[in-house]
Amino acid sequence: MNRGRALDVVGTLARLGLAAVWLVSGTLKAIDPDQTYVAVRAYDVLPPAGVEIVAALLPWVELAFGVLLLAGIGVRLVAVLSAGLLLVFVAGVTQAWARGLSIDCGCFGGGGVVAPGETAYVQELLRDAGFLLMAGWLIVRPRTLAALDERIGNTGRT
Amino acid sequence: MGGASRNEKRRKQEAADRRLAAAGIRPPQRRNRTPLVIVGVVLVVAVVIGIVVVVVQRSSGGTPPAYAAAVPTAVSGAVVSVGDGPVVVDVYEDYLCPICERFEERYGDEIAAAVNAGQITARFHTIAILDAATSPPGYSTRAANAALCAADAGVYPAYHHQLFAEQPAERSAGLTDQQLVQFGTQLGASGDFATCVTSGAHTDQVTAETAAAESNPALLTDGQFGTPTVAVGGQKIDLNDTSWLQAAIAR
Repeated sequence: MNRGRALDVVGTLARLGLAAVWLVSGTLKAIDPDQTYVAVRAYDVLPPAGVEIVAALLPWVELAFGVLLLAGIGVRLVAVLSAGLLLVFVAGVTQAWARGLSIDCGCFGGGGVVAPGETAYVQELLRDAGFLLMAGWLIVRPRTLAALDERIGNTGRT
Repeated sequence: MGGASRNEKRRKQEAADRRLAAAGIRPPQRRNRTPLVIVGVVLVVAVVIGIVVVVVQRSSGGTPPAYAAAVPTAVSGAVVSVGDGPVVVDVYEDYLCPICERFEERYGDEIAAAVNAGQITARFHTIAILDAATSPPGYSTRAANAALCAADAGVYPAYHHQLFAEQPAERSAGLTDQQLVQFGTQLGASGDFATCVTSGAHTDQVTAETAAAESNPALLTDGQFGTPTVAVGGQKIDLNDTSWLQAAIAR
């Protein structure tokens, strides 16, 4: 296998991995909207109306990212958007940690206030860093195997 | 744009490209907008779905549930019964519990309508299991006590809603006694509401009701009691079924 082909395979794994992350996290949030609301509220950043809007839209935006990555449409663009959303999550968890809140990130369902000894900020941030790495790969090198981008003439700039 | 003019435009473009090529100039590739459009469309669809889901699910829209003035309200221990319908719906709530706030927001109107129509008797069990979740501890009990004072003072359903609408965050100090008194005064509480709130007149009843709920096997899931818990005819029901109230009335 030549080098380009090997890089394509790595990119494909990153694309499908990130797609799986968004599809799973979006589904878990979408099926329990009340829990999602509680999770967003626990970050203690937004006013009630803002919490309502974010909790309502977030699951579906995550699912949209997942579907687009799975299909391989606009891979670089969706990777940029994914990285942006992940950075927002990182900022949210970091501010909660820094302010001494004790919350579960609610990244994959669940979420809300937890007992002070039950936080997992380090694990949550490391996990997000891993996801950011996948997004970063796709931003730098969006070429992957079995992506619809090829069919619709996307030359890799979007 | 018609097909004819589109063809005409393409023909001109191709002719221009040929002239450039003949002159040794390679025109920059025109950007393919298809992926951008598809990504945009999928995201717009996602946002629309999110908005539709919220609009469909949200019931009260921020306004307090409208209970008819003639609905009877009775207080027994830490349980406030509203209405006199044949189906008994027991609701166990802690005023600090975030999911209880969601429950009130989502089903408050529906419960009020069923009470007004004489279909159900709603029995609100005033529970305090999250006393340790505020700093200083004890907001759950203070709020529970204030709610029972509000029932004595004749402003219960509205006060109950108000406590959820103004719910403090966990790990905060909670609302002050002064705020708890102020809500009741604004709603027109009669009698010595302030003394009832500040003296914790119903604290023992809240503690007893909480202990009773925690040891009632019909209310536990995996041996655990949590809030909100809703029981119809004494049996805990699954709140994941969003039509639980219609089902309770129909059976």
